[in-house]
Amino acid sequence: MKKTVAVFFGGQSTEHDISIMTAVGSVIKPLELSKKYIVIPVYITKKNKWVTGTALKDIKTYQSAKIDELIQKSKPVQVTFDNGLTINKQKIDVAFPAMHGSYGEDGSLMGLLRMANVPFVGSDMDASVIAMDKVLSKQVAEANGIPTSKFAFLSRDEFAADPKGQTKRVAKALVYPLFVKPAHLGSSIGITRVTTLDELYNAIEVAAFYDEKIIVEEAVNNLIEVTVPIIGNEEPRAALVERPLVTAGDFFDFETKYINGGGKKSGAKSGAQGYSELPATLPGKLYDESVGVALKVYKAIGLSGIARVDLLIDEKAKKVYFNEVNPLPGDLYRHNWRAAGVPSVMLVDELVRYAEERFATRNALQTTFDSSFLRQF
Amino acid sequence: MKYYFSRYFLSYPRVLLYMLQDTEYKLVPYLDWVHRTDDFRLVIKRRKLVLTKKVRLLLVTLRLISFALFVSVTATIIYGIATQNGWWIAGGVVLALVAPFVLSHGLLLPLYIGYILIQKPQERRIIRKARKVLNEHQGVRIVVAGSYGKTTAKETLLSVIGAGMKTAATPGNMNTAIGISRFAMKLKGDEEVLIFELGEEREDDIRPLAELVQPDIALVTGINESHLVNFKSLNRTAATILAVADFVKPEDLYLNGESSLVRKYKQSGGQLFSQKGVGSWKVTNASTAMTGTKFTLSKGEQKIRASTGLIGLHTVGVTVAAAVIAIKLGVSTKKIEEGLKNVKAFEHRMEPRLFHGAWLIDDTYNGNSDGVKAGLEFLKEQKAKRRIYVTPGLVEQGDKTQEVHEKIGEQIATSADVVVLMNNSVTGYIMNGLDRKKFEGQLIIEDDPLFFYTNLDQFVAAGDVVLMQNDWTDNYR
Repeated sequence: MKKTVAVFFGGQSTEHDISIMTAVGSVIKPLELSKKYIVIPVYITKKNKWVTGTALKDIKTYQSAKIDELIQKSKPVQVTFDNGLTINKQKIDVAFPAMHGSYGEDGSLMGLLRMANVPFVGSDMDASVIAMDKVLSKQVAEANGIPTSKFAFLSRDEFAADPKGQTKRVAKALVYPLFVKPAHLGSSIGITRVTTLDELYNAIEVAAFYDEKIIVEEAVNNLIEVTVPIIGNEEPRAALVERPLVTAGDFFDFETKYINGGGKKSGAKSGAQGYSELPATLPGKLYDESVGVALKVYKAIGLSGIARVDLLIDEKAKKVYFNEVNPLPGDLYRHNWRAAGVPSVMLVDELVRYAEERFATRNALQTTFDSSFLRQF
Repeated sequence: MKYYFSRYFLSYPRVLLYMLQDTEYKLVPYLDWVHRTDDFRLVIKRRKLVLTKKVRLLLVTLRLISFALFVSVTATIIYGIATQNGWWIAGGVVLALVAPFVLSHGLLLPLYIGYILIQKPQERRIIRKARKVLNEHQGVRIVVAGSYGKTTAKETLLSVIGAGMKTAATPGNMNTAIGISRFAMKLKGDEEVLIFELGEEREDDIRPLAELVQPDIALVTGINESHLVNFKSLNRTAATILAVADFVKPEDLYLNGESSLVRKYKQSGGQLFSQKGVGSWKVTNASTAMTGTKFTLSKGEQKIRASTGLIGLHTVGVTVAAAVIAIKLGVSTKKIEEGLKNVKAFEHRMEPRLFHGAWLIDDTYNGNSDGVKAGLEFLKEQKAKRRIYVTPGLVEQGDKTQEVHEKIGEQIATSADVVVLMNNSVTGYIMNGLDRKKFEGQLIIEDDPLFFYTNLDQFVAAGDVVLMQNDWTDNYR
């Protein structure tokens, strides 16, 4: 019998559109092609209206005015929590969050699904919260002996209260060049590279526009950026180490990833997010070390299902640093998995299996017990 | 009945013409398709109607008839209402109900008249002229006949002989009397060698073609169940194809010794070619991979180091025959080797290409059991993460349909890890074969071939080898 999978996408996030691409192209289509699942698309609009319908499975719906008409006409989805999840009277066997950034990837949706007692794909709430907080994830990595580049952080309120003082505090603790990032945003939104105090000030101001928490990191010298997609629960496995190709002194920002297609470099292969070297050619043992560090991070943060770990390598020092983790990589990084021998149909099938496996493990735990406590009164 | 009103859509005339074009204007398959179609809105899937001159003319005719029917129905009903005569109203309703059938069947009348009055006399004229051209032409004529592999054999001969002599061959599938005649009319007259593909769909199709061409050398690629639905028996298929033997000397007749039916039905005479060689020419060191096939062909001191872009050891036999024919015609071994290097996989015929890190072998123009067997043998030998086999099965296998597909199922079971079957009338037979050989891999039954083909990137990954054989057009189910 076919299982019913609800795919959640869109959402009130800066990565709303990317989420649609991930859901429609990399989740819904392969799930349906596998012939094992009935797929219910649950689209969350930018105004937080939850809608469903077959037309939402087609990317063309979003490329025209059809989507506005459809949203207007659609009744909001009816969700029933009945020791499980029922959407518009259809019992859901597995939930598949395909939302990036705020509310979707940061643990919010996971908390809801966890309380609903339905298996869901990807990391659980706690790991998602850590993964989506660049400060927390670096602290967890450091606590587990995984090297990260030196960093400092501040809150928007702290910055608002004393902008110059906070900027100086950060500048004093670190060595230029620095990267300023909103702590919770993905897809490299709001990231700036700075080399002076003035630039640092402006960059923090920009990052504070997007997030309540700002992280400032030292740049790694002789840099090679790589990324490692991983799937699995207790015994995770990595796909191929991939090296996004960017111009010297530049970094892999939102525009490079999604708008400019990465900027073609000779000899590079086209990836889902632009042009990259796949697998990455790294000197010595750096390839294996990158995989090792990525898997260690995955376990340390407690990730499950799927994630992508970004690493920074100092080529001369032959040292691999943890940079950040993405608990739901755009497009599921399916181009990389395909190159590693895992077709998309198999990838989503595996992810559903991991979701059920984790759900079974969690449900085996005792969460209540009978007591006569209230009868005393 | 639920979709009866799909016949009243404005697109209906176009759909009828699409069906006619897709069945190559053949009456029986066209009517068969029309009669079994429920929803005419879903007929056009795989391609678009090609607006040739003939189609445009028929489309205008159909639209005029549609308009006339509409006016007649409306006028009849209005007259009935106005005169309060129920018979007129009933007559109008009946006319409205039969109108789609008038269109679908009435369409054949102008077509038939056009064929008798225009097309047939025109074709006769062209064939008559071509016969004269061919009678006067001094070039050596080679014909290629058989149930399968004709295009590959023809193109290989063209490449090998063409490397040393001025050679022309019938293009594409121009293998009927009119196709060959049109080709003949374009000849310059200075060609040293002419190569003709002879097509067969019905009993005795080959003999008139051979009479037209008057061959000096004949190559028979093989005999199998192709078009059995028309031939009715393999005896008739064999007699039709082997009729070429009556037109050439025994030493100039080359027969595929790997075709069991050729061996069974052949008369005395003729040279059998195979992977082992032909006559005293012997093959050694044969190997095949995605990049092509290599072997050495030798006779005493003479040696040809063959390297082609064709894949599969089953291609060695016909390559050998082409090389030996070229030697007989006086082409040097050096030129033959050069010619063989230029033999590439032909479009949609065991044509390999890299697809998202996987090897995809496009054999969608293959439509016969021997081709299936050869493809599966090649797939079986591949070292791959997954060997994926995709097929809808074969068409026009007549009363051998079940037997042929069960056999294919058995062959697949030992050659593939993943099988994708396009759901149709023969799927069950292939599954019987898979069951019989206790297939333990993954079986996927796909209802929508187009959906599958357009989303193939979701199914494959690096390390996979995918063999796609045969592809049914919209008129088969």
